[in-house]
Amino acid sequence: MSLMLTKEDLAKYPFLKQSIAYIESMQLNLGDLAAEEYSGILRKALTRIKDSIDRKINPADLSDLESEIISYPLSLALVYGSKSNWLLNRFATIEAKRVEEELRREPRDKLLEIAKSGFSWEIEPVDLRLEWEELPFSIPLQSYLEAATSFNDPHWKLINRYVKGGRVFLNSGSLARLISEGFKTKIIRRASERELHNFRIPEALAPYLDEIQRYAQENMQFDDELPQGLVSDARPPCIAAIMEDVKAGKSLSHMARFALTTFMVNVGESVDDVLKLFGNVADFDEGKARYQIEHIAGMIGSRTKYKPPKCDVLRSFGLCVGMDEFCRNAKHPLNYYRNKLRRMRKPGGQTGARDRKKGV
Amino acid sequence: MHEIVRKEFREYYSGLRAEDLEIPDMPEREFAFLQFGGEVMIRHMKFLDPQSLKGYIVENTPAHIYHSSAYYKAPEATDMNEKGWLGADLIFDVDSDHIRTECKERHDRWRCMECGRDGTGFPPESCPNCGMKKIDTRTWICEDCLEAAKKEVVKIIDEYLLPDFGVSESDFEVFFSGHRGYHIHVRGGTFRMLSGDGRREIADYVRGIGLDIRAHGFREEKSGILVGPDMKDGGWRGRVARAVYEFVNRSSLEDMRKVVAPTVAKSLYENKEKFLRNISSYPPYWGGLKGYTLESLEKIAFASIKGLTCNIDERVTIDSKRLIRCPNSLHGKSGLRTLRVNYSCIDNFDPLKEAVAFRHGSIRIYVKEAPRVRIGDEELGPLKDKTLEVPLALGLYLICRGAAEPR
Ligand code: SF4
Ligand SMILES: [Zn+2]
Ligand SMILES: [Zn+2]
Repeated sequence: MSLMLTKEDLAKYPFLKQSIAYIESMQLNLGDLAAEEYSGILRKALTRIKDSIDRKINPADLSDLESEIISYPLSLALVYGSKSNWLLNRFATIEAKRVEEELRREPRDKLLEIAKSGFSWEIEPVDLRLEWEELPFSIPLQSYLEAATSFNDPHWKLINRYVKGGRVFLNSGSLARLISEGFKTKIIRRASERELHNFRIPEALAPYLDEIQRYAQENMQFDDELPQGLVSDARPPCIAAIMEDVKAGKSLSHMARFALTTFMVNVGESVDDVLKLFGNVADFDEGKARYQIEHIAGMIGSRTKYKPPKCDVLRSFGLCVGMDEFCRNAKHPLNYYRNKLRRMRKPGGQTGARDRKKGV
Repeated sequence: MHEIVRKEFREYYSGLRAEDLEIPDMPEREFAFLQFGGEVMIRHMKFLDPQSLKGYIVENTPAHIYHSSAYYKAPEATDMNEKGWLGADLIFDVDSDHIRTECKERHDRWRCMECGRDGTGFPPESCPNCGMKKIDTRTWICEDCLEAAKKEVVKIIDEYLLPDFGVSESDFEVFFSGHRGYHIHVRGGTFRMLSGDGRREIADYVRGIGLDIRAHGFREEKSGILVGPDMKDGGWRGRVARAVYEFVNRSSLEDMRKVVAPTVAKSLYENKEKFLRNISSYPPYWGGLKGYTLESLEKIAFASIKGLTCNIDERVTIDSKRLIRCPNSLHGKSGLRTLRVNYSCIDNFDPLKEAVAFRHGSIRIYVKEAPRVRIGDEELGPLKDKTLEVPLALGLYLICRGAAEPR
């Protein structure tokens, strides 16, 4: 074990090289974990998953390190075994949030150690003091781009980072976020690997899988406020403009793609319909697009992250084109859409016929 | 009419040394060809060495020759999964068609296919008369266009690739495309494995898309004091600071009024010296002017960086499996060569001279219509409806452009 990383760290950060080695050294068999002697661990794993469903972010339980460490691979196995994208995303998101919170309490050298052990990024400590802040870490450009392109917050765009000599300079908070996002990506990517496609939970654990699935079912919330399918006339100008670009076969920016996809998914379009929409865009890659859209769609109901960006954000990306009366009262494109729908449905307003099959 | 062009192309390729067709990691590249008059791209070809590539070209004499920016395990496979993507060069494509130069008034025309409205210069996005987007263009290039494209290339390399991205001189090559612009190929390991999203970030970075100056240290303290970055800072942080300095330094009161409210413009203009001194002191101080807020600073910043962002075709940079012209191949729409440019001498590079492939002979042509054109040292036009004898390179150029026919 490295000088700095303790067994507590293995419990807090399951993605560390050392954590993985530790678990492997125990030579556990998944099926065996249903046995009586492991019931404590099993209970821990179940709680871990249920907490994620409830969006409860608990720090690692350090009173019994061993079971805390083992409860992670066990809960992960149950999540993979459920074959539910919704649960997978929820679990990965909450685990990542937990890790981020833990990381924010770590000193710099520990943070560095964790980043190096968990990922193949060549992070280096640096001593960059700007006028008003310090950036104590640097990471190679390509590692940053691999880790950060899934972020849709403008602050993560490369152009809004301190970039010099092929490296991106970061403060501790950003590095913590990068690590936790990297962790989340690992959990989700792993699920689409071939070996996991045929993964089945051992018979002995099946009742617990049922329990988890039932719990997930009960707690999944569906966004039923919006109609199932796009009502064209209620589209906000920004979204209409992006759709025009799509129609013209123009290549969309990352943000435009994200705004359009999240918008469509949030108004109840299916993944297939959204994919069809992108069909004639120049740089379209169906496999990848499907993955991204499903990713976004899987998050629906969680009401957390994968909503379209706010008007402010769209504006700063040059995607806001309109200022009609609904725009003036909306801070968010979905807001715009809801208000306009409501108006259209009032007596005397236009009737909003669904026209999802028309395409664009 | 293609026959003569084809014959000359074949002669050119026969005389070419095979080594001139060499590209790095040839066996991992896909090659693609477009025949004269052909519409369908012949793709998924693999060549192990320049000799076999030359053999193929001489035999088939295509009008356009491409290789993939990507490296593949099996470049000859037609299915993407079987091809096995192993990475790709990072490409920047600078096309003078996309740069608004004044010379376009002299040599470009456009016409609305819907209502017939036409005009000269840079084509409008949609027809000013009927609003439709079906605009037909007839564009030409001239020395000025190509010079503007060259400036963009230098900007990309000197302002972004070298200082910010840490690319070294041996990691990239610059090519004249053989027609309207330049390509930069970055081959070093750094970018090779980047996904499309990562490449998008690179493209946005050099194009200035999504810039938020608040992320670069500009902010208003609770006390109302405006703080901001130092001009010596790296990346966009220092770039914005330097740009604002330059802008304020060179701007007249009129220029400033176009960007910020009149009162702010006035106080900025009258206190120019002090403001410039403040922002170049350490730590820099960005405020102290009447009515001057973070919003005005933001407006000035965005006005200042206009000339610093790069004009590239972002689709090419984003694409991790692009087809790109082979070095020393001929461009079927110009008869000029795709030519490697020695970057240290790019200032003196004259594409219309050095990329000439046909240096001897002449040809008799009938010219329908052409603006003034120069190829090599020969100039011609503007002219219309004329038959004349011209040097071979110039004649082929006009024929390839579709403006002339052999007689
Ligand atoms: S104000 Fe909001 S809803 Fe309206 S166009 Fe702009 S971004 Fe879209
Ligand atoms: Zn028209
Ligand atoms: Zn020109």
